[in-house]
Amino acid sequence: MSRARVTWARTVAQVGLEAREVTVEVHVSGGLPGFHVIGSSGAPAREAADRVRTALAASGLAVGSRKVLISLAPADVPKLGARFDLPTALAVCAQLEVLGQEALRDVVLLGELALDGTVRPVPGVLPSAVHAARTGVRRLVVARGNAAEAALASGVDVAAVADLTEAVAVLGGAPARPIEPPAAPPSPRARGDLAEVRGQLEARRALEIAAAGGHHLLLIGPPGCGKSMLASRLPTILPPLDDAAALELAAIRSVAGLLDGVTLDRTPPFRAPHHSASAAALLGGGAGVARPGEVSLATHGVLFLDELLEWPRRLLDALREPLEEGVVRIARSRASVAYPAAAQLVAAANPCPCGGGRRCVCREADVARYRARLSGPLADRIDLAPTVTPVGAADLLAAEEGEPSAAVAARVAAAREASALRQGRGVRNAEADAVTLRASARPAALAQLAAAVDAGLLTARGHDRALRVARTCADLGGVDAIDADHAAEALGHRLALPEAVAG
Amino acid sequence: MSSGRAPTRLHRDALALAAAGVEGAAVSRACREAGPRAGPGEVAARLARRAARAPGDPDEVAHRLAALGARVAVVGDDAYPARLAASWPELGAPLWLFIAGPAGRLPDAPSVAIVGTRRPSLDGLTVARELAEAAAQAGAVVVSGLARGVDEAAHEGALAAGGATVGVLGSGLGVDYPRGSAALRARVAEAGGLVSEYVPGTPPRPHRVLERNRIIAGLVDAVVVVEGGARSGALTTARLALEQGRDVLACPAALTSPQAAAPLALIRDGAQVVTAPDDVVDALGLLRLGDRGGAPRPGAEPAGRDLGGLAGELATLLSATPRTIDALAGATGRPASAVLAAVVELLAAGLAERRPSGVVRVPR
Repeated sequence: MSRARVTWARTVAQVGLEAREVTVEVHVSGGLPGFHVIGSSGAPAREAADRVRTALAASGLAVGSRKVLISLAPADVPKLGARFDLPTALAVCAQLEVLGQEALRDVVLLGELALDGTVRPVPGVLPSAVHAARTGVRRLVVARGNAAEAALASGVDVAAVADLTEAVAVLGGAPARPIEPPAAPPSPRARGDLAEVRGQLEARRALEIAAAGGHHLLLIGPPGCGKSMLASRLPTILPPLDDAAALELAAIRSVAGLLDGVTLDRTPPFRAPHHSASAAALLGGGAGVARPGEVSLATHGVLFLDELLEWPRRLLDALREPLEEGVVRIARSRASVAYPAAAQLVAAANPCPCGGGRRCVCREADVARYRARLSGPLADRIDLAPTVTPVGAADLLAAEEGEPSAAVAARVAAAREASALRQGRGVRNAEADAVTLRASARPAALAQLAAAVDAGLLTARGHDRALRVARTCADLGGVDAIDADHAAEALGHRLALPEAVAG
Repeated sequence: MSSGRAPTRLHRDALALAAAGVEGAAVSRACREAGPRAGPGEVAARLARRAARAPGDPDEVAHRLAALGARVAVVGDDAYPARLAASWPELGAPLWLFIAGPAGRLPDAPSVAIVGTRRPSLDGLTVARELAEAAAQAGAVVVSGLARGVDEAAHEGALAAGGATVGVLGSGLGVDYPRGSAALRARVAEAGGLVSEYVPGTPPRPHRVLERNRIIAGLVDAVVVVEGGARSGALTTARLALEQGRDVLACPAALTSPQAAAPLALIRDGAQVVTAPDDVVDALGLLRLGDRGGAPRPGAEPAGRDLGGLAGELATLLSATPRTIDALAGATGRPASAVLAAVVELLAAGLAERRPSGVVRVPR
């Protein structure tokens, strides 16, 4: 064992969604015995050293009384988590000559070690695996619990290992055990169906428009009238996620340690954080390198904010920019990361200070004041504000079932198709260029909107937003040109918003 | 004829007369000519001589009745409603009735007629429905005319409460009038019965719709007028009810509503005021006599005449009570998208106002 010889193993660090290549270098010398990690700092580095040394010993690969220096390079990449245990241990194995350095060429290793040598799964494997596949890595070695997730990234051979001994054997040329299919396939998450929603004609229509055009929605109704039920049905009428979106969402879930599925989940996500959530929980945060927040976990899906008026104003204001730009940037001590935040907002609010309902005793002036609190940078982004009415028990039994989600989803898909033909795929009407949309409107529709501005029903800024909703109404109707009726309906959906003044 | 009872001579005569196109007015005339002591058989015989000039086919009528699950009932027959029989002959109760319902007869229980305009406000619809629910829950039979508006709401209310309800038609049985009401008619037939004095298939005519009002009045203990214009048929029903000694109740409505004219006129003339659904229930127990209905007073025409179809319809439905888009969509049977557009039209025209709890009409 030459003193100058350095062995190494490749791995990948996750800085948010961004994967960075990391090389673990190991040097063993005859100095004062020790096991040191550099390139990472503080308690995590010391703990990693202890885990790796003990796991090696437990696997019969004791390093003995020598000085072992481990360097995680490059040093300026923030290295979070215990994913570097496995590459470190194998680089040491190369040093101990139980494994040739050649066996580690073009191999990326990810995994935490238990003290007995077991390899444990780590979060964020999917984006790392995608990165490895892209950089031409031959083989990816991960814990068994991460195998299915890593396999979602195509183009790289995934080997799953149970413990350190098996990792050494597999890298030494032994055949890897096949990746076991999961014991029970995950059942599709029960999200209900729009058929269960009885009545609520206005809200159902608004939900359909929101799904087709990507417009933000505010449900107004007393407690218990079905606002949450309606909101949670929105993902059931949204088009399924395409490959890129599904992979991006899976990567976010992986980084957050929430990826539980073994097949790529194409259902648009639905996240409903409570109004007591912190800024870090909502937008992303945490020490060192920020973890994704609810707004990112809801990307390509629905972010439901119940009791909108209970949320702290500063949180709602902070939410505006991510929703507008589709990305949230969070700077923390170790790194500044960007997570996707292309969520569709569905908010809910009570109609009046007392909560509303049949026994409401609020005066109109109080209600108007209460509604005025809705105004603000975030509420200005809301285009649909249907009233959700409580359905009586008798009506609940008598009313027919609503239209099922599948039927509504078909119309939504057709409308999305129409908008894709006009303004390109991936640009929903809510984000479409107003100039383009104006060109597709009949003069009568534009006159209707202009008249609404003149009559004080609409602000100048609301004009373009109403135009986008009108475009979606026309798309849902299968019509090429926006008509006056579409414009009028779009205005109707804004009536409960504070900016609209009664005519 | 569904029951096991053998048809009498009178039954056969009635079928023959109906088949020959004899209607209520001719029967009344024959009654007057025959004198107050004449029995149903005598009147029938008198009419038969006239009908012989243009004979119809009684067997064909009998077949059509059988196909509709209906039977004919004549005065004096035990299937003929007892209350109505008391109005024979002076007060114009029909000599025969065609009844489609369970066992070919109407439920025997305290009965209340809930009648009103075909174009009620949403308040009117709600009131009609709630009164009918309360009455049906108390065990009363809700009788109405199966017209659009208040009549429909009354039947629906009784059905929703699981009670009995009887529809009296201004056409023959088996006619789809109002168009699209087949489902409601079937439910009413099952939950009480359908009544008509016309041969199955007879089309509705204004005079028939008015004539059936005397049957409605004759079948019940009390008549409640919910909403109606100054010349509403509901006023006719109320007048006929008073002639037959029935209670008349009226639901007060806002002075500004054009549909308030009929009930307000009745209240002015002494009709009992309905202040809560239970008032109707009480009235059925008390059977107080109302005062005579007076001359109707002129009322305003509904607003929104110069507006487009749905917007005009909404202008009539709206009142000072805020209404949600859902309620308006439910009342008009139109999709929420169209209702929203029409409401915006009304707002822009200054005919309606948006309140936090819904849309209200702007008084003109």
